[in-house]
Amino acid sequence: MNSETILDEVQKLLTPEQVNTDREDLYDASADRYKKYAKARGVLDVPMPLAIVYPNSTDEVSRLLQFCNENRINVIPRAGKTATEGGLENWKEQTLVIDALNLNKIIKLDTYNMQATVQAGVALQDLEDELRKEGFTTGHSPQSKPVAKLGGLVATRSIGQLSTLYGGIEDMVVGLECVFPDGHISRIKNVSRRSGGPDIRHIAIGNEGTLCYITEVTVKCFKFYPENNRFFGYLVKDVESGIKVLREVMANGFRPSVARTYSEEDAAQHFYHFHKNKCVLLFMAEGPEGIVDATCRGIEAAAEKFKDGILEQVDSKYIEDWFNNLNWSQQDIDDEYEGMKEHDSHAGFTTEISADWETIPKIYNSVIRRIRDEYPRAHELTMLGGHSSHSYINGTNMYFVYNYDIHCAPEDEMRVYHHPLQKLIVEETLKFGGSMCHHHGIGKFRSEWTKDEHGSAYYMLAKLKEAFDPNGIMNFGTIFPQEEGRKYLS
Amino acid sequence: MNIICVVKIVPDVDSFAYDYENNTLIRENIRMILNPDDACALACALKVKAGRPDCSIEVVTMGPKAVKPHMEDLLRLDADRGTIISDPAYRGSDTYVTSRILARYLSTRQFDVLLTGSHALDGDTSHVPAQLGEELDLEQMSGITAVDFERFDSRRAVFEVEYESSVVTWEMALPAILSLDRESGYTLPYVKYEDFQRDVSGKLTIIGNPELGFEPGEVGSDGSLTEVVRTYTQRFETRERRIVRNDDAGIEDVFNFLLEKGFL
Repeated sequence: MNSETILDEVQKLLTPEQVNTDREDLYDASADRYKKYAKARGVLDVPMPLAIVYPNSTDEVSRLLQFCNENRINVIPRAGKTATEGGLENWKEQTLVIDALNLNKIIKLDTYNMQATVQAGVALQDLEDELRKEGFTTGHSPQSKPVAKLGGLVATRSIGQLSTLYGGIEDMVVGLECVFPDGHISRIKNVSRRSGGPDIRHIAIGNEGTLCYITEVTVKCFKFYPENNRFFGYLVKDVESGIKVLREVMANGFRPSVARTYSEEDAAQHFYHFHKNKCVLLFMAEGPEGIVDATCRGIEAAAEKFKDGILEQVDSKYIEDWFNNLNWSQQDIDDEYEGMKEHDSHAGFTTEISADWETIPKIYNSVIRRIRDEYPRAHELTMLGGHSSHSYINGTNMYFVYNYDIHCAPEDEMRVYHHPLQKLIVEETLKFGGSMCHHHGIGKFRSEWTKDEHGSAYYMLAKLKEAFDPNGIMNFGTIFPQEEGRKYLS
Repeated sequence: MNIICVVKIVPDVDSFAYDYENNTLIRENIRMILNPDDACALACALKVKAGRPDCSIEVVTMGPKAVKPHMEDLLRLDADRGTIISDPAYRGSDTYVTSRILARYLSTRQFDVLLTGSHALDGDTSHVPAQLGEELDLEQMSGITAVDFERFDSRRAVFEVEYESSVVTWEMALPAILSLDRESGYTLPYVKYEDFQRDVSGKLTIIGNPELGFEPGEVGSDGSLTEVVRTYTQRFETRERRIVRNDDAGIEDVFNFLLEKGFL
């Protein structure tokens, strides 16, 4: 089927108003924030989708997917547009972006049963604002909260800044509705817990649009006690010293909502007013008063136990101020985009990995050493460091952060800077047995290591793809490595 | 049309760190870069060349052989030929001797225009372009901030020079030496990823005194008319650092500071 016919047919399936073929919007839909600089400079090297379509209902999503499946048209599910790993980048000539713009209804706030049901295109901020009016919170607070939408957050297995207390999105999703390429609509019911075979929510959570289209989700909600929030900040000797305190707090059974350790370099860019070129350790405790008090005592006891690594405590007001200005609004994203049009620089890149407690410092030190020793443009890095920002009973994550002024053509930036750096980080992480993708998803540009990430369990992942998307129409190139897509990787 | 760009690879002085305690510049790991004004000159040459298949560009530099990777990168742009003039005997040459060495080589080349930078980051005497004019018997103009590419051919060039209170448009008969200022804003493109490792050795020539034939006393410090008597680092002092909050008191503080310093 040629492109013109596809557009005609899609307009018949929906209405012309639901089919966007505006050139500027299609260019924008060609790639996500992974290639933000090339996009800003107008030099993207990938095809534009044929259209962005806006279904009004789950049935319309079903009809669209069936049509695409029968005609082998690539589909990129989209909700929120804050992806950073190429998950929304287009690698096919015939692609439809199905955007959840019109699936924007908050269906039910059920505060007695502590859950809220929304359509995929509801912005997290909007849901959070509605819950706050009633004294509740989603507990989910990624930096992209002002922009991100629920469908995208669930599809990418998102995590928020308060995850140490509330968990990742996978801990919050109660049930959901999703549509498969053959048009089948599955509804996973909302129950507190069940043992009804494998937990099938996890086929949809984190599928990154490669298996199904999420149309509706039900997430937990929590009582909100902002008046009880307490903050702690410390300057610490090194990353290991900070991580020891994080581990102590977690292993003793406390759940601060924020628990972080920053390297000297990363601390310098976040905490210019107090970092003194040292590593920074910080906590936030929230919840009911008694729990907050107990958590604070747990943090103080851990700090005391490892006081040899702590250089000084800092004014908790600084931590509170920092936390209250952490999120990226659409204005911030737009400002960075405009800035990249004129300047050979941007706000930097990150690669987030995870491992157990004893492995994380090894990965961190090994990665930093390899970048300094092996990366030919190490001298052009204006910042190289990282922070641990999501902790668990058995380990934590490491968010490698690197900034650089760009000394190459815009279309070469990823190949010259980000990708070789990411490669070193992924190689070291996998070598030590960690995970290369803590919370941004695999997207397209880590798909070359998906098999290494999963090892023998990749079998299970591949079978899911074969079963649910036998024609391979769902988000080509994302998660699952594709030979045909290699030209966009090198 | 044949263009020769005379360029210099210099230490990136902007990346020097300052040791306030010992009043010294920290010179370790300092990168070498193409002198910014010279980069404008080459960028200008590339603009002239664009769309003119008969135009060729040669890049000439004098310095240690260590500048070779930098010259190779310039050849990976659209320069046609590169020449490094390098000889241990030339070490310590002042601007006068440097100009004589460059001029001797340039006098063997056919060209319509010599493009150079006006200033260099490292010495900034701006002697060489004018001295090249003297040696080669060519007119020379410094401080060029814009070139009229429509009126730039092998016979004449039209360009602007910015002075303190005016901008003057000049037309100059060629051959001549035109020295660009970084205010021109002409920027070099980056080498394409696919060209990073492209072999350009066939386009690069290294010559020394055997080719140019100076007597030992004519070059290096012995042949120089000037010598550096003393270099010293300007003394800087650490400034008081004050951190204010993003509130009314902080805004007042910053306002008063700017007022006191005469910025408002």
